[in-house]
Amino acid sequence: MSGTEFWATQFLNGLQLSMLLFLLSVGLTIIFGLMHFVNLAHGALYMLGAYIGVSIAMWTDNYWAAFFGAPIGVTIIGIALYTGVIKRMRKEGPMSQVLVTFGLIFVIVDLVRIVWGSIALGIPTPEILQGQVSIFGISYPAYRMFIIALGLAVMAGLSLMLARTSYGAMLRASVENGEMASAMGIDVEKLLFSVFCVGCALAGLAGVVAAPVFSATPAMATDILIPTLIVVVIGGLGSLTGAIVGSLIVGFIQTFGAVLLPSFSSILVYILLAGTLIIRPEGLVPARK
Amino acid sequence: MFYQTSIKTVCVAAVTFGLIAYAMLGGYFAREIVIEIALLAMLAIALDFLAGYGGMISLCHGAIYGVGAYIFGATTALSGTDPWLAALAAIAGTALFGWIVGAITANVGGIFFIMATLAFGQMAYVIVFESRALGGDDGLAGVGRFDLSAVGVNLNDSLQFALLCVAGMLLAYMVAATVLRSSFGRTLSGIHANEDRMQALGLSVRTHKANAFAISGAIAGAAGMLAAQHTQYISPEYLVWTLSGEALVVVILGGIGTLAGPVVGAALLVTLEHFIGGYTDRWHMFIGAILIVAVMAGRRGLFGEIEHRLSRRSETKTEAGIHA
Repeated sequence: MSGTEFWATQFLNGLQLSMLLFLLSVGLTIIFGLMHFVNLAHGALYMLGAYIGVSIAMWTDNYWAAFFGAPIGVTIIGIALYTGVIKRMRKEGPMSQVLVTFGLIFVIVDLVRIVWGSIALGIPTPEILQGQVSIFGISYPAYRMFIIALGLAVMAGLSLMLARTSYGAMLRASVENGEMASAMGIDVEKLLFSVFCVGCALAGLAGVVAAPVFSATPAMATDILIPTLIVVVIGGLGSLTGAIVGSLIVGFIQTFGAVLLPSFSSILVYILLAGTLIIRPEGLVPARK
Repeated sequence: MFYQTSIKTVCVAAVTFGLIAYAMLGGYFAREIVIEIALLAMLAIALDFLAGYGGMISLCHGAIYGVGAYIFGATTALSGTDPWLAALAAIAGTALFGWIVGAITANVGGIFFIMATLAFGQMAYVIVFESRALGGDDGLAGVGRFDLSAVGVNLNDSLQFALLCVAGMLLAYMVAATVLRSSFGRTLSGIHANEDRMQALGLSVRTHKANAFAISGAIAGAAGMLAAQHTQYISPEYLVWTLSGEALVVVILGGIGTLAGPVVGAALLVTLEHFIGGYTDRWHMFIGAILIVAVMAGRRGLFGEIEHRLSRRSETKTEAGIHA
């Protein structure tokens, strides 16, 4: 492998990690921006997406059934959490929210262990995405390329929706000033609920998409949580652009850090986070100006 | 604001005597439980000092505990330093770590503070996990214990070591209570109640918060230092962020901002863990469910609820006395 090819592959690896982080952080950040709710159990929803995907793929022997089924399943679970716990905790302070969703992680992870066991489960890569594709003269696994494309598509779809549709306009108005939006006749509660559902579906999607690459394990719930929180804080809570910028920064720092400064790479993101909190505690691209 | 009420004194004394009696009457396993309760109570006291009275809800106390264990463990196991010197280093090192985290996060509030402390804790975890010199994820064995043979105490005896841990817990409580009753502690409560006003009064809020974090860090580090002596083996597991969560659970369960609550909470949680653990290995599911119910039911916690009821009763009594 030549030097250019090596760096191009690393670039694609970084992009692929960024896209997974984006799918997760966008839900978390918008739920926070709109509902002022910190959902630490977001990583657990990601894990559930992977496991539900594994089961659907096993029953139907079809990856695409899992691909569409897992986000729906996770959304249903998310709705149950919303009505049972989260709705009641919204008025509480951040500490109560952190604690309750922290408790939810424990409960969900153990339930997953009971249902699926503790061993890693995988989903076979769908046939059409097996093998390598050639891009800019380098060959790269087709499935990973698919993750990149999916992330970019979701990114574009959400940006368009936020910028061009009336739903997006209502959403931006509610993040900016919820009370005023409500006074203008926007049903903020209904909007919140729909955003929460989209966030859950995206977490489930990220889980099922990650399963063929990383396998589903109970540790996923907490392993992904901290990088996702870092993305959200660096980018700025509540902002779509922030989630995009944050996930690209964290994804690339993790990938290139591992190549360039292997002994130092894991703490690079934490240093970045500490720096952001000191210099710009509101994040790089905050939702409210 | 902290007051050493008689309810607090009675509660802490009851738990202390209960632990001593259990350690003396029970066997080796009972002493293991006593040690576990005492060390968790120390960590929770440190956290309650900061979160309950200073309003700083830290999610890096598990990591500070681990840093204390590692400073002590690494200096005794790798260079054969005298345990007393190593203990001093552990306490000073964790105080410094706490001070730095406190100084950096002083301007950050609410959820950002929680996330920032979580990140600092993870940073410490990753550094230890990846450091070959500290044994990486294999950990380090051969950690020493204090030598108290000069005063006739043999710490390799499980009972005497358990009693040392209980003494550590009591000392941690007394240090925290003394600091909270000093003018420093009153100022800390003032910052918690109204930071802007304290600033306007001419107080350096950042220095004050950092110092409070340092004191809390030193207590948590002392607990970790004892934990390293207990297992005589250290691994990155000591710094894992779920330990910070568990400490917060203890504080909430016992009653945040009561200082005596964490002692009760630690005893309750560890007892429950061993009781439920006897029936199922899904212990974490129960701790999660208990946590959710405890937070949703109200924030007073067990000790807070007792204190609240008793003080309300005495208030009604006084009122009745006035009317009579």
